Amino acid sequence: MIKAVCGLLLRAFVVLSGATILTFALLWNAPGDPAQAIAMARFDALLTDEVVDQVRQEVGLDRSFWQAFWAWLGPLLTLDLGFSAVTGRPVWPDLAAAISYTFPLAFSSLAVGLAVSVPLALLATKRPGGWMDRLAVAAASLGNAIPAYWLGLILILLFSVKLAWLPALGASTPAHAILPALTLGLGVAASLTRIIRSGILEARGQPFLPAFRRRGIVEKSIGRDHVAPHAAIPVVTVLGLELAFLLEGLVLVEVIFGRPGLGTFLVQAILARDFAHVQAVVVLTALVFVAVNLAIDLTYRIVDPRIGESDA
Amino acid sequence: MRSVWVLAIVFLLLAGLGPVLAPYDPTAINIPKRLSPPNSEFLLGTDAMGRDILSRLLHGARWSLGLAFLISVISLVIGTTIGLVAALGGKRADWMVMRTTDTFLAFPELVAAIVIAGLMGAGTWSLIFALSVTGWMRYARVARGIGLSVQSRGYVVQARLAALPAWSLARWHYLPFLIPSLTVVWTGMFARAILGISALGFLGFGVQPPNPEWGSMLLDARVHLRSTPLQMLWPGLAVVLCVLAINLTGDALRDALAERDHPK
Repeated sequence: MIKAVCGLLLRAFVVLSGATILTFALLWNAPGDPAQAIAMARFDALLTDEVVDQVRQEVGLDRSFWQAFWAWLGPLLTLDLGFSAVTGRPVWPDLAAAISYTFPLAFSSLAVGLAVSVPLALLATKRPGGWMDRLAVAAASLGNAIPAYWLGLILILLFSVKLAWLPALGASTPAHAILPALTLGLGVAASLTRIIRSGILEARGQPFLPAFRRRGIVEKSIGRDHVAPHAAIPVVTVLGLELAFLLEGLVLVEVIFGRPGLGTFLVQAILARDFAHVQAVVVLTALVFVAVNLAIDLTYRIVDPRIGESDA
Repeated sequence: MRSVWVLAIVFLLLAGLGPVLAPYDPTAINIPKRLSPPNSEFLLGTDAMGRDILSRLLHGARWSLGLAFLISVISLVIGTTIGLVAALGGKRADWMVMRTTDTFLAFPELVAAIVIAGLMGAGTWSLIFALSVTGWMRYARVARGIGLSVQSRGYVVQARLAALPAWSLARWHYLPFLIPSLTVVWTGMFARAILGISALGFLGFGVQPPNPEWGSMLLDARVHLRSTPLQMLWPGLAVVLCVLAINLTGDALRDALAERDHPK
């Protein structure tokens, strides 16, 4: 067990280091002259080569790849994300402001997803193959095919334009979060429903359940103590994929609904060629992603001790 | 299940014949007729520049489905090669290759694709690059997994003892085993590529106007949500139907393979 945990930690470390280098290399090799872009963003005019060169030196773009990498990594390790060369402000406060909009949205979407998918999967598995089951599977397949940006537009059309019940753009009140959370949450629900459903069906087929029944254990306790934990295993394994789905969806949904969150922050940073901002978001995403996957791998082993240690 | 195949074939035909069936030039600008609702002249109406939406949808099928096919095949080739290298290359190569794969998996695919395509500058080539570079990892994992399971089979051991070169081992002893599972993964990735292309198009990082691509059509339509809400319905519907048809085909394929491997 300890060996396996160490292996997982080493893996997470290697992957995270690789991800950091990859991020930096990507931005370093991006076509176009970043110094020019920064100068344009700052002075908002056509510039002479002299000014661009001056900016280049000031921002440190005249160094070699590894020099620049270490200069960026050192402060990063102390969570210092440096200054944005475009806005001239430190990255962290702006990033934190963006996160404060994204975090609640991510959680409420996840809540919506669970609130829809768990009851739906339970209803579907009451009679496998019945009309409820087929309806749930069909709804999930349809939900998986609907892109978040289209669903978002339809919800805006329905609830903001036609019915005028909910606000669509911005993030000034909590009511502004309802449509985005619904958009993302329904997408999450679609993929979770399928997984929970097949998890329950597989758990029901376990050979020890008839033995419990014969011993006279009540159906309720079998469901709670034996079927539910078994059904949870496949759900836990795909939570990482679910998180990826959530992060991808967040970018699009925030752009549609004009929420000033992490996704909007990223897209604006790309358009402005604000490398410090892009790097910060990408590294943060990778960090969250790797950390969550590590946590999943660890829980997985705790939930189901049968999982082999040699599994690479 | 037959209906799904029919649907998939209909879409392929539409992508192939779309330009022939389209009543108008998809890029022809007709300002006096801009934003007209569906009528007998323009069956699905026109967009903000007076371009026929039906023609754009039909031509767009070629962009969306064609590019998605190209991207999913490129990543299939990259991923399979990398997975086979890991499976055949011994323990150390395996570890290195799989940690590289994990590193690429450390970013949510679409977020990475948005960053890459955005930084490379909007355009079809950066779109293809961005989505292929972020799409090969699942193939690699599947190819490696199956590759390792094939490794201990008698005839593979025999072939190894006979000092068969690695590439012919890969070609004749590993690849035939990989094809069924990889096909299932491929259908999923094909659908994902369609979604990715339209997502990038929607953000303005993908196929550039005036080329008709479903995602960028949605981007155009979004501005006119209040005045001509129907305009936004069609491209989205096209994406949904295509993805649904492909996903269902993939499901059917997977079930058929499971049936073959474990007959009831």
